[in-house]
Amino acid sequence: MSSNSGAAALKESGSFRAWLIKPNVQKWLVIITFAIVPVILLLLFIYYPIGKMVEFSLYNMSYTKVKGFVGLKNYIDIFAKPELFQTFRVSLYYMVGAIVQIALALYFATILSFKTKFTGVYKAAMFFPYLVNGIALGFIFKFFYTRGYVLDTVLTAFGIPLESLPYWLRDQSINNWSLVATSLWKYMGQNMVLFSGAIMSVDPTLYEAASIDGANKWHQFRYIILPSISTVLTLNVILSITGSLSAFEPPYVITSMGGNGTATYFIKMHETAHTLHKVGLASAMAVVLITIIILCTIIQKLVFKYAFRNSGTDSAKTKMKRKQFSKGVN
Amino acid sequence: MKRFLGILLSLLLVCSAFSFASAEGADVPAFDSFELGKDYTDLTAKIKWLTHRTDLVDNGAITQYVAEFNKVYPNITVEVEGITDFAQESLIRLTGSDDWGDVMGIPAVELSELSTYFAPYGTLEAMKDTYNFIDNKQFEGVVYGVPTTGNANGIVYNKAVFAAAGITELPKTPDQFIAALQAIKDKTDAIPLYTNYAAGWTMGAWDSYLPASVGDADFSNNNFLHAKDPFSATTDGTGPYAVYKILYDATAKGLIEDDYTTTDWEGCKPMINNGQIGCMVLGSWAFSQMRDAVGGEHPEDVGYMPFPVTAPDGKQYAPSGADYCYGINCKVDASRQTAAMVFVKWMTYESNFAYNEGGIPIVKTGNYPDLYSSFGDCDFLVQNVAAEGEDSLKDEMNAESTLMIDNGGNEKVQKIVEHGFNGDMSFDDIMNSWNELWSDAQESLGVAVR
Repeated sequence: MSSNSGAAALKESGSFRAWLIKPNVQKWLVIITFAIVPVILLLLFIYYPIGKMVEFSLYNMSYTKVKGFVGLKNYIDIFAKPELFQTFRVSLYYMVGAIVQIALALYFATILSFKTKFTGVYKAAMFFPYLVNGIALGFIFKFFYTRGYVLDTVLTAFGIPLESLPYWLRDQSINNWSLVATSLWKYMGQNMVLFSGAIMSVDPTLYEAASIDGANKWHQFRYIILPSISTVLTLNVILSITGSLSAFEPPYVITSMGGNGTATYFIKMHETAHTLHKVGLASAMAVVLITIIILCTIIQKLVFKYAFRNSGTDSAKTKMKRKQFSKGVN
Repeated sequence: MKRFLGILLSLLLVCSAFSFASAEGADVPAFDSFELGKDYTDLTAKIKWLTHRTDLVDNGAITQYVAEFNKVYPNITVEVEGITDFAQESLIRLTGSDDWGDVMGIPAVELSELSTYFAPYGTLEAMKDTYNFIDNKQFEGVVYGVPTTGNANGIVYNKAVFAAAGITELPKTPDQFIAALQAIKDKTDAIPLYTNYAAGWTMGAWDSYLPASVGDADFSNNNFLHAKDPFSATTDGTGPYAVYKILYDATAKGLIEDDYTTTDWEGCKPMINNGQIGCMVLGSWAFSQMRDAVGGEHPEDVGYMPFPVTAPDGKQYAPSGADYCYGINCKVDASRQTAAMVFVKWMTYESNFAYNEGGIPIVKTGNYPDLYSSFGDCDFLVQNVAAEGEDSLKDEMNAESTLMIDNGGNEKVQKIVEHGFNGDMSFDDIMNSWNELWSDAQESLGVAVR
């Protein structure tokens, strides 16, 4: 009896092993074992909380108390209360800033990709602000913009009288620009490093060939560099624009939680959740923000697809040519 | 994360080590049943005190108090631990272990839960005539917390600046106050009123002066919640309207700092000390910080005055309340509870702690510090707790109206400064919008309006 069952078990385990070492099963096993940890982490720490947030957004609740299911009322409130939705107007400043930032980053990256002295030093100097903690940076700029402090001192040294200088943070017509400038200062270096990484991957012989054909630096930029880095450019624009929708640190630190008309949507969300303890409404605001960011990303993808359609085929052609060229050489 | 792990581990250790310690509690004396210096002088115990005053731990003042205490009670060893993030940390310690120590400032524990954690001092009936603010931590007539000190809300001002501006009598009404600020602007180089706009919480602090404008002990937690349009305009300088109007008018007339968006909290301390600032609207706790400011050369010039509003009954009030209250751990053995009781009584009667901190004395016969010398005909006004069943009504009204009165509503007061400066919204319009928010909240919460 016992020997029988033992044999059966042996046979069973044998067939199990045989099943186990089938190539198809092995493939799936490897996929599952490798993927299971990151997938669980992803589900547990990203999708589960997002799901919870969507659930919260349908309730009237504080941190300690659920006051009842309200359906879509929170979403209606967001669009009905002008003071919440209006904050997206402030985000426009940051979007304009993002475009300037990308243009500058592209400019510096291109210049530094040509033969320049001390390239490393310049790159390091421009990248450095990105490494500074955003809160610390806020405090630096708070003093930077204070009346009669750093910026004013520098400008008066150039002969501009203090009386004709604006109050950088008090004047509501320019204080958002002051804040955008700090964010530009911080993130420009990072964009530049990404661009110059992409530019470095361009085959340098192309420049040579181009200059032999009589192309100047602008032509080189327009017809060689720009098409080759279009992917990185798209990525940078998407990151900057979505980043500008969720701008938080500059108004939070420099203008004391978005005072004086500098409150961004993110600041309002923070305030709704942590000062007013309206967790349901704040969750709904977060869901709306995510939706808007996804929409923006899709729109940009489409726009870039359209904008780079010509140059895109261009680059495909050049790539093909390049391939043929290199084959020919070999 | 490391710190959190550390706390967790230490909590686990403490829990496992003392899980067998049981509360006896039977023969712990009531607060008023023994005499300091005579009873329990031979008691030997080791107790631990958790305090939020890390500044006093760091500068050695607390060690001084304990040393004085040990002169009378040499066998009671007091270990002191200062906690920076006290409000949250103390709650974790309290709920995490039965043996967190012996004495702590009672954190945000619901009143009905006090008896679970803290030993009773006596009945409210027996103690209320002897001590100020003693009803702060009581439940059903039993007192579970004795205040460390009491705070009052007035205005910190510089006496020399006021004198130089020719102000001989302290202003009592908003009009007199604005005139005084104007005089400071005209006759001195000082900033008349420093708002501390940028610090944020200093703006929300304006809410704590509302009771002074009505002179009603049932205002903040009761009548205010049921009031119809509490921010409506008044012409006699009373009511919440008058309190915020001071700020609006001062801003509109250029009587505040030049660039309010870049005010500096640490920097304002030596400035008022040295006469660069006329006055600031801050609670009495701020007085000693301004007086002892690093870089301040004229500590004798820093003064404290009542808030310049007069209630409808013609009197001036200083809204006041208890600071943290000492709570005694009721889950440790009786000898330690007794030692803690002795220590709290000694701190209350003998240490002079409240006086040294510029606070209102806890023992009614105690001395008021000099800073209250100008409070002669001004009454201290303590707000009663909410009516039964309305414990959380104020929180709900605050959240619903988004005004967050007395609860971090900094933004709305900052807006007063902004509108006052830019002139893009009149003060009456601001107050009307607040009234609207308040009524809407009352309506959606179904609050009876009286």
